[in-house]
Amino acid sequence: MAILKKIIIPIIILAVITLYYFYDFNRLNITPKAYITNQGENTVSIIDLKKLIMIKSIKVGVAPLGITILKNNNLAFIGNVGTDDISVIDTKKDEVIKTIKLNTAPLSLASNAEESKVFVTDWFKNKVIVISVKELKVINTFSVGETPSGIAFNKKFNYLLVANRDENTVEIINSENYNIIKKLKVGKHPFGISTNGNFAYVANVYDDTITEINLESFSTTTVKVGDHPYNIKTYKNLGFVTNALDDSLSVIDLKEKQEFKKIRTGENPENLDINIEFNLLVVTNWGSDSVSIYDLKNLTFIKEIKTGTQSRSFGDFILQ
Amino acid sequence: MRNFILALITLMFSMSIFAHGPTPQKVQESVTVNVSVEKAWALVKDFSAIDKWHPAVKGIKVEKRGEDTYRILTQESGDKLEEKFRSIDDDLKKIRWEITKGKVPFTDFNAYIIVSKGANANESIIQWTARFYRTYKLNPPIPDGQDDATAKAAVQGIVDNGLAGLKKTLESK
Repeated sequence: MAILKKIIIPIIILAVITLYYFYDFNRLNITPKAYITNQGENTVSIIDLKKLIMIKSIKVGVAPLGITILKNNNLAFIGNVGTDDISVIDTKKDEVIKTIKLNTAPLSLASNAEESKVFVTDWFKNKVIVISVKELKVINTFSVGETPSGIAFNKKFNYLLVANRDENTVEIINSENYNIIKKLKVGKHPFGISTNGNFAYVANVYDDTITEINLESFSTTTVKVGDHPYNIKTYKNLGFVTNALDDSLSVIDLKEKQEFKKIRTGENPENLDINIEFNLLVVTNWGSDSVSIYDLKNLTFIKEIKTGTQSRSFGDFILQ
Repeated sequence: MRNFILALITLMFSMSIFAHGPTPQKVQESVTVNVSVEKAWALVKDFSAIDKWHPAVKGIKVEKRGEDTYRILTQESGDKLEEKFRSIDDDLKKIRWEITKGKVPFTDFNAYIIVSKGANANESIIQWTARFYRTYKLNPPIPDGQDDATAKAAVQGIVDNGLAGLKKTLESK
């Protein structure tokens, strides 16, 4: 009986507290949010993905396009191609806390796994700019191919992946010393790029295809999709592609290497992101100034939410 | 000096002619027309009928090239404009096309028109959306007449005149 009081009961109490702590903080208190860059009105719309409503709109630089989110640092980096700078948003307060001047157009952004650096493709000078997250300033630049567009970071290999739009290539880069490990030919006009485990995926706008790159063997596979594919994201064995001039989303079976479903989107869909916790797929519609939200598992449409004008959000835009 | 000029020329030509600035421009306008949605859509969906409603189009020639359909438009100025049909969606009442050739102060132009129901059975809304870029394709400074504002003003004119023309043609029938 004494043992029960002295050991078992405290253990039970501790276990309950621990369970409650993790349950509360990891499930209930976290609100996933989508940050949508509105290139037509120089704002970012913030969408609450639990309530599925727009909660705030914040002013950033001119013509915001690219975005990346640093979850552990509670930061969102926004690339403004009109003012050639980056707006850094504190995602707890949802306010701009710093503007980093670049003097060139930032196209897309990605951070490394530990979130110590943000890499930015420099559209005009064919370079990648390296920003220190601690100092919030440019610490390095290195050269890549022509018109670098999409950029992604692969955690497994610590690779940076850059799609060079005007030379139809993807570069695989060592993210520590910036050496180019491999340059691969892909389809015409590669733009959006993403990566998952052993693979990278790039959307070839003029070819109406996507290219899957095996990051171990550097072999490539091409899959036909809809009109003017702009970006791709993957989840498990599914690939989702925004077909900008077809107002649709191609769903690809990555094992079979073929499209098996097309889903209607808003007008001129450009980019997309996935929230696994809440089972959501979010697509930005440049033409209808909105986002379309889908159930990730059933692939059913849930809701369309109005944003600012010309919503784009090129990159990873959901804070999990 | 000669080497310098050669280097300069090489540099100029090595810059890709296909590149453009990273900000697509948008013109989106709509007009309410006092005819049924079916009647409005019947005119809008006919890719070969733009000369019947767009006041700036003085002549049209439709051409099949393989699977693709093109229309070559003669403008008021006499200049030709070549457009390619992209797609039609009868459910959404949406037609998409793009400009493939022409002397215009903008580039990479693609557009769509959607016809939807208005407040009553004899009213419809026609919305025209255009996406395009300025003609200057390189790093700023941007020369006069090749900037975003010039491109946007030109497309705004095409869209506004087009929608006014559609309204006039549909309501006078």
